[in-house]
Amino acid sequence: MLKLSTENDLKVMRKNLINDRRKMSKTIIMCGGTGCKASGYQEVADALNKELLMHGVDSTVRLRITGCHGFCEQGPIAVIEPEYIFYCHITPADAHDIVAKTIKKGEVVERLLYTNPVSGEKIRTESEIPFYVAQERHLLSQNREINPCSIEDYIAIGGYLALAKVLDNLSPEEIIREIKMSGLRGRGGGGFPTGRKWTECYEAPGDEKYVICNADEGDPGAYMDRCLLEGNPHRVLEGMIIGAYAIGAAKGYIYVRNEYPLAVKHARIAVQNARRLGLLGENILGSSFSFDVSVARGGGAFVCGESTALMNALEGKVGEPRPKDIHTVIDGIWHKPTTLNNVETWANVPSIILNGAQWFASKGTKGSKGTKILALTGRIKNTGLVEVAMGTPIRKIVFDIGGGALNGKAIKAVQTGGPSGGCLPVDKFDLPVDFDLLYEAGSMVGSGGMVVMDESSCMVDVAKYFLNFLQDESCGKCVPCRLGIDRMLEIITNITAGRGTLEQLDLLEELADTVTQTSLCGLGKTAANPVLSTLRYFREEYEAHISEGKCPAGVCQALIEYYVDPEKCNGCGVCIKACIHGAISGQKKEVHVINNELCQKCGICRSECKFEAIQAK
Amino acid sequence: MLHYVTINVDGADIKAPKGTSVLDAAIEYGICIPHLCHVPGLSDFGGCRLCIVEHTVNGRTEITTSCTLKVYEGMVIMSNTQIIRRLRRNIAELLVAEAPNSRAIQDIAVRCGVEKVRYPFRNNDCVLCGRCVRACNELWQAKAIGFVGRGIDRHVEYVFGYRPDFCKQCGVCVQLCPMTIPPCDGPMKTGEEYLCGKCASQLMIAEAAPEKCIWCELGVGFSCGRYQGAKSR
Repeated sequence: MLKLSTENDLKVMRKNLINDRRKMSKTIIMCGGTGCKASGYQEVADALNKELLMHGVDSTVRLRITGCHGFCEQGPIAVIEPEYIFYCHITPADAHDIVAKTIKKGEVVERLLYTNPVSGEKIRTESEIPFYVAQERHLLSQNREINPCSIEDYIAIGGYLALAKVLDNLSPEEIIREIKMSGLRGRGGGGFPTGRKWTECYEAPGDEKYVICNADEGDPGAYMDRCLLEGNPHRVLEGMIIGAYAIGAAKGYIYVRNEYPLAVKHARIAVQNARRLGLLGENILGSSFSFDVSVARGGGAFVCGESTALMNALEGKVGEPRPKDIHTVIDGIWHKPTTLNNVETWANVPSIILNGAQWFASKGTKGSKGTKILALTGRIKNTGLVEVAMGTPIRKIVFDIGGGALNGKAIKAVQTGGPSGGCLPVDKFDLPVDFDLLYEAGSMVGSGGMVVMDESSCMVDVAKYFLNFLQDESCGKCVPCRLGIDRMLEIITNITAGRGTLEQLDLLEELADTVTQTSLCGLGKTAANPVLSTLRYFREEYEAHISEGKCPAGVCQALIEYYVDPEKCNGCGVCIKACIHGAISGQKKEVHVINNELCQKCGICRSECKFEAIQAK
Repeated sequence: MLHYVTINVDGADIKAPKGTSVLDAAIEYGICIPHLCHVPGLSDFGGCRLCIVEHTVNGRTEITTSCTLKVYEGMVIMSNTQIIRRLRRNIAELLVAEAPNSRAIQDIAVRCGVEKVRYPFRNNDCVLCGRCVRACNELWQAKAIGFVGRGIDRHVEYVFGYRPDFCKQCGVCVQLCPMTIPPCDGPMKTGEEYLCGKCASQLMIAEAAPEKCIWCELGVGFSCGRYQGAKSR
């Protein structure tokens, strides 16, 4: 294929591609993201290909493997264009019906349709599913329209037009002004205004500048960046090229963690394809601007998501943060001015350039503009990736999109922002997703993790979990983070083991404050948030652990005792067989008894019992 | 020719050559900011966080380490406010609970106002101040030792775990280690650690007459700061 040397070449190519695609009558869109890969999309796709061949429609029907659609729980997912019929939980055996009925005759296969968990009715198309209805899918919606490995797909839906516009008639100052006016803020966690960052980097002295895309996403349960880089790598790349043009950089890096093999692969293919078409390299689209990108793989450290640690890692040093008294926009990688942005931030850039700052600023709240992708997980009916406009209340996300609690239990809290964020109780659910308001409430938007917890979660245990994670992932360079997290964990472990005292709560608060204020990098500065927010909103749970010696949620092993509810137990004997310690006894069809001296509180009986007869007190 | 800038530390205007750190400039003028990982002549990496100060820029005050902060004209630094003292005390408390078996750490704890240790003692041999690692890497360019592992597993270790040929056993690592001199009353056994605090009486002198601090009895354990040869026993 020839290199594109002018803006016109790009437009001609796009026109030809669109004409080509019109010849296809139908398209089966199959999600090939990591989530669907785990649930076996590959076998389904192979079976579909075979069926298409057998029915002789392979020349008019296209099977497109795309990035993540967001509804990972329902995978493998397929959507049939142009009607957008939505099939979920597909197995290879269903391939025949899909091709023979839906493709050839236009009939809908009822059993593959999505069932609304609230009303129980079958839903035919994607746009009617409540999970999708309440969202504003601006970034994610492109995922299903393109094959991430095909640059042609991206160009056909209008890709690289923003780049052409920029190179043709915008100066770096105009781009930065546009980004500034749009109010875009960093999506990686801090929420730093992107326009300001670019201005500072643009004004920083030096000819050699760098741009970096931070795809080292490590929060437990969050995968927004993976989904974007896997599903739409060219959009991220386009954003980076525009950013590089704006600040005057000639070299860029995508730092992606090695645990995301598909994202690494797709990013590499995207870079190669862009180079082939002349969208990367010397004299992009015939202009005087040259820029290239390399893909670097991370070594598996959470702390390398921190900007300076990431730069150290890219330089080949130990991935530890360094003091940031001079900002990285002036003294970044190899001590050169560097603009580092999150994947999602870069992905937002092309549409701001194309549609204008006003369009972007029209969505969201006063301080936070645009949309935000959130990874909604936990004890709710619908889990997956959701994209909402900034300012959407948490209540709407949890109950409308998430579908409410599982098994009729009451929702207690939501943990936002990953390990650096905090837990918000139900009465704070009217708070909107907004950088400043969530920060004031003791949590943060962060990179976008959202874990919903119900009454079966113990908040002390949640704090303990996150401290454990952070203790593992702290680099250990500075004292407050290394020893402070360790001591906080020690205190919380004492509390969950029933050895806590009320004085220790005050110590915990003071220590958390010290760690927050004195740590070297962002990891330490936010490490105490899970503790501080649970102490703020769920102090009574901590106190119940200490003064009453009870775990209200029945989670902390040392503080609970299992017993059999005589009204619910029907004497089936399942728990007797399940108990490996021989602690349960009883005759058939009679109420069983747990011997608490033998009971090791492993909880197996509780999970085995189908009648919820075994309970904790 | 050296270019000098004027900075304000705790209300005192002091002159410092461009390129020096706030900590160096302050010590030069007899304002002792407690510190552990800082060694004159070695790079500063901001690990111990004891030398934190309040740095006011454009009306916003942020807490940062003075060893990594470079001086510039007109900067305003507060090194001894109530907040800083409290935070510094908490950090020193963490350190002394981790490694009470060191005179230097015990001295620092007293100097930073620790009166009671609220955590169980651990009696570790290393506080990972990184003095040895940086001296080995930067002073002698030997690079025989380095940090291995992360988080609580982090420790100082030879390259690949055994002493390489390029370690000439110069001993600079031992010399700079804050753990080599035991507390005044002798080494503490595991389970019998305590906060020594005997030199708390000297704190008055150190607080009232700042120049005393640099040559003061506190910190003799590993010779505080740049006046290494000034007083030793």
